[in-house]
Amino acid sequence: MTGNLWKYLKHHGQPFIGLLLILILGTILSPRATDGSIVFLSLGNLTDVLLQQTEIGIIALAMTFVIIGAGIDLSVGSVLALSAAVSALMLMVWNPHGPAVLQIGLAIGASVLAGALIGGLNGLVITRIRLQPFVMTLATMIGVRGFTKWLTGNVNVDLGFGDVPSGQFAELFSSKSFAITIWIVFAVIAHLILSRTVYGRYLRAIGENERAAAYTGLPVRGVRLATYIGCGALAAFAGLIHAARSHQGNPNDGVGYELDAIAAVVIGGTALAGGRGSIIGTVTGTLVLGLLTNVLRLHMVDSNLELMIKAVIIIVAVWLQRRSSGAHGEL
Amino acid sequence: MNFKSWRRLLLILVGAGWVTGCTSESSPYKYTVVFSQCNNAEPYRAAQNAAMKKLWGEQPDVRLVVMDAQQDSVRQIAEIETAIRMKPQLIIVAPNERAPLTEVMKRATEAHIAVICLERDIVEPDYTSWIRVDNRAIGRMIGQFVVDALTKKYGEPKGNIVEIAGLKGVEAETNRKLGAHDVWDKYPNIKVVTESVANWSQSLAKDRMTEILSAVSQIDVVFGRSDPMAIGAYLAARERGREKEMIFVGIDGLSGKAGGINQVREGLLAATCVYPLCVDKAVEVGTKILHDPAFVPEKQYTISSRLITPETATESP
Amino acid sequence: MLECRNIHKHYGGVVALKGVSWKLLPGEVHALCGENGAGKSTLARILCGITARDEGAILLEGRPVVWSGPVAARQAGLGIILQELDLFAHLSIAENLAIGNARLEASAWVSPTALNDAARPLLHDVGLELDPASPLGSLSVSQWQLVAIARVLGLDAKIIFMDEPTSALTDDAVERLFGLIRRLKARGVAIAYVSHKMNEIFRICDRISVMRDGEMINTATCAETSIDQVIQQMVGRAVTTTRGEKILATGRALLEARQVSTRKLRDVSFTLARGEILGVAGLVGSGRSEVGRALFGLSPVTDGKITLETSDYAPRSPHDAVARGVALVPEDRQREGLIPGMSIRQNATLASLSKYSRASWIDRGQEAAASREALANCRTKFADQELPVRSLSGGNQQKVLIGKWLLTHPKVCFFDDPTRGIDIGAKDDIYRLVAELAGKGLGVIWVSSELPELLANAHRILVLYEGRCLGILDALSATQEDIMRLATGHRNSLS
Repeated sequence: MTGNLWKYLKHHGQPFIGLLLILILGTILSPRATDGSIVFLSLGNLTDVLLQQTEIGIIALAMTFVIIGAGIDLSVGSVLALSAAVSALMLMVWNPHGPAVLQIGLAIGASVLAGALIGGLNGLVITRIRLQPFVMTLATMIGVRGFTKWLTGNVNVDLGFGDVPSGQFAELFSSKSFAITIWIVFAVIAHLILSRTVYGRYLRAIGENERAAAYTGLPVRGVRLATYIGCGALAAFAGLIHAARSHQGNPNDGVGYELDAIAAVVIGGTALAGGRGSIIGTVTGTLVLGLLTNVLRLHMVDSNLELMIKAVIIIVAVWLQRRSSGAHGEL
Repeated sequence: MNFKSWRRLLLILVGAGWVTGCTSESSPYKYTVVFSQCNNAEPYRAAQNAAMKKLWGEQPDVRLVVMDAQQDSVRQIAEIETAIRMKPQLIIVAPNERAPLTEVMKRATEAHIAVICLERDIVEPDYTSWIRVDNRAIGRMIGQFVVDALTKKYGEPKGNIVEIAGLKGVEAETNRKLGAHDVWDKYPNIKVVTESVANWSQSLAKDRMTEILSAVSQIDVVFGRSDPMAIGAYLAARERGREKEMIFVGIDGLSGKAGGINQVREGLLAATCVYPLCVDKAVEVGTKILHDPAFVPEKQYTISSRLITPETATESP
Repeated sequence: MLECRNIHKHYGGVVALKGVSWKLLPGEVHALCGENGAGKSTLARILCGITARDEGAILLEGRPVVWSGPVAARQAGLGIILQELDLFAHLSIAENLAIGNARLEASAWVSPTALNDAARPLLHDVGLELDPASPLGSLSVSQWQLVAIARVLGLDAKIIFMDEPTSALTDDAVERLFGLIRRLKARGVAIAYVSHKMNEIFRICDRISVMRDGEMINTATCAETSIDQVIQQMVGRAVTTTRGEKILATGRALLEARQVSTRKLRDVSFTLARGEILGVAGLVGSGRSEVGRALFGLSPVTDGKITLETSDYAPRSPHDAVARGVALVPEDRQREGLIPGMSIRQNATLASLSKYSRASWIDRGQEAAASREALANCRTKFADQELPVRSLSGGNQQKVLIGKWLLTHPKVCFFDDPTRGIDIGAKDDIYRLVAELAGKGLGVIWVSSELPELLANAHRILVLYEGRCLGILDALSATQEDIMRLATGHRNSLS
């Protein structure tokens, strides 16, 4: 058992080492609160980081699948905004009235459905019309953003406060216990799907060698379509959490989230070329990014410097990944 | 890199970190004040930051930390969450928008930290004090100036107005608009031809104005709800050679070469309103909170402003 | 001319070359023999600057040299035709020929027409009468190999390494190649011929060096030694070249193709009985692989009808084909057959995964057991089925592929050149395996360029020429000449 664990760490250990490094650095460099405690390690701070990373974390889970299948989805940020806007509009403007549970349920359903539909659109065009994923999801990213802004009339739809359904929704979805638990649950389910199901195996095969997978009779189109639909749906779920946390449906939000998600996936050891990757790696990558930002923020590092440091981390992580893949040498 | 070099790297980093950590530990500060600014990129806010640093800098036992949310509400929420963990005595916030920042400010007050809202407020009154300016009164001042100017131009109060608006979720935007309309709605021949949102940004205002210039032929007044937006509109008009057809009014009235007062003097703006930074009051109230635990500040402090026209364009005191 | 002394090379923990010393004389054709994994390709790559050696010296014309890379070696006059053809599918033939070739690249600057003109004589030399402007991706594997040979010709090399140059070529292409080699030899070019095809070696080469397990075993002239001796040195033990017993077909019709046409085929008709092995022979470009593609749903059938077990069969994708019990073992193992990064077990169970799963959840125990059984049936040699499949030799990889299809319990299995690039021991295993499959009632269609192989193993042989079926011969009574005649377009007076 420990032999296996050591072997696993040697081959997939890079992101864990990164995580450990950041934890150690963060602790050492952490400012002290006025009562002398180490701010970085306080439970409040660490759970703050988890909550701050929930949205990117959930999107990154789905992005792992997409990237393992040798695809990419640049539209997740716009889908997040769409979902946030749809849920806000459902609760505040297109309100069907009725018990709070129904209203909230409909808002959730409508948002996730919207995300799944966009994902389906991506998947259909990519698999049937054979447009490259980068190109198609780039187009969707722009188109969905425009659609969302049009839908809200370019205003931010604020959610209510207090006992109204929208207020309850905001409180529930932005609470640490709910959001973090949901992330963990999704991560566990994602891990099981990737490593233990037929779909997961097919996805890996298709991502590594699509031709051979097709020649083996695998349902390449179906697998790809399902992956993009799942990505859209999960991005929409992240949008729900986003709406709750920012207490509004802002059609301009989510810009750049796709890159953060891809960064988390890549730092976690998944290769952009497809075929290799793990959920554990992605979660680790997400934590690395979140903790890094936290350490920098605790030290009031200029936010622009923050971006540059993030870029360096990504390059280092990918470079280390190549060394560990050894003779195969691919990215 | 094999594991041996990893261990070496780890040791070096730990060592370096320890040294840095130890040296930065000597903290002579008794108080920590965190200022969460919503957007350093706006000139008004940059002036606020400068004033904050100067005034708090005069108190040697206070450590001031300034955060810039870059006009991103989600970022500001995260920054304030981090600020709460540092357990400061006082947090001063210029919220990016009312609704998003409400919940996190409530958490700050629940953590027994004094919270001052600077110039902007939030939806629920979960703060210790709000230093504000009467934006509606400012709106009315500008509105009246516009009516007077139009009457001088046409002999009667009539004309076409273009409004360039800031972020819609901000109290200043709402009240300035209401104030101006308090005055204009009385005159049926004064029409607001269009209102375009430029989110306080000069470059966005220039883009929006360019579009408007193509669509509207007769414009008499451009009301930018902040000086940078008014200037942006002016630049757009000047590119088209139409800047003499209309007058531009803004709000902020900062001093200095790039400030609104100078721009009125130079003739780019027809008028502006001094929008006080509110920093003086904030520091005054904040200092009292720090030093006197029994002090209960007012819920709101209102600071007055004044209209700046070419006649009254002197440096603000 | 070219000499190496005491070369050592290892990859990680595996020793590829152990103290190898070897000499290549000017104007000679020198064979390098050995089973897969003996080290002959590694030696060739080290001598041509592609791989760096760990220890030892390389001497060119008596002077020690150290290659900084393949370009340096090329400039010194060494050319190599690699086994894994390093050509680019999306470029044209002429562009591929020009890469790394200063003279042709200069033509490329002038105009594409100039480049095509410069490319034509090279193509003519190897017997490829194709438009140099056509993209490489549209060519078959055999044609790719000819292009690779043409490329080396264009470099005016003085020393040429050929690594399995005939593995994808048909007999007459091989003849042309030999003619080419003789011409080069007359010009004083030294050729190192890496291969394990004994007949070829003894026809064209002057000397033979045998390698085994990374060591140079022996060097002798062809006159001094014999095929059996060389094989014995290669394998390290005495081996007799026997063929598998042929099992007679049981006769019930399984698959029937009636005047089937696709993009490359025209009016092809044949039947396949249960337990029958139908060989498919033909020259490069005759459409042999196309038959498999049509049966497997990869090439749309434009005319004609296929019947499988009395019902119509018109697959629109491999998925359909697999569902009906048709399997395809493709020509290109690496690109079309295996998932290199996955383990042996995962590759073996990929086509039949749904059998070991419920509601998409895989039962790992069931899967591992099935995989072990299939691999054992194919006599695959491996250390641990969790290792990545690319760690296996070519022969074992092919067995994993076959095992994968066996787990789907197919009714018809199409093998496209299954023994290409595989050493003798593994080839034998595959012959026996196919015979067993036929014995169990499968219908087998077997494409091969090696006529003796087909004659020895098939029941009947379908011969294609330019997309048409010119005849179906009985393997017991036909000869290589019969097949060749049909394959070159001359109809038999009897058929």
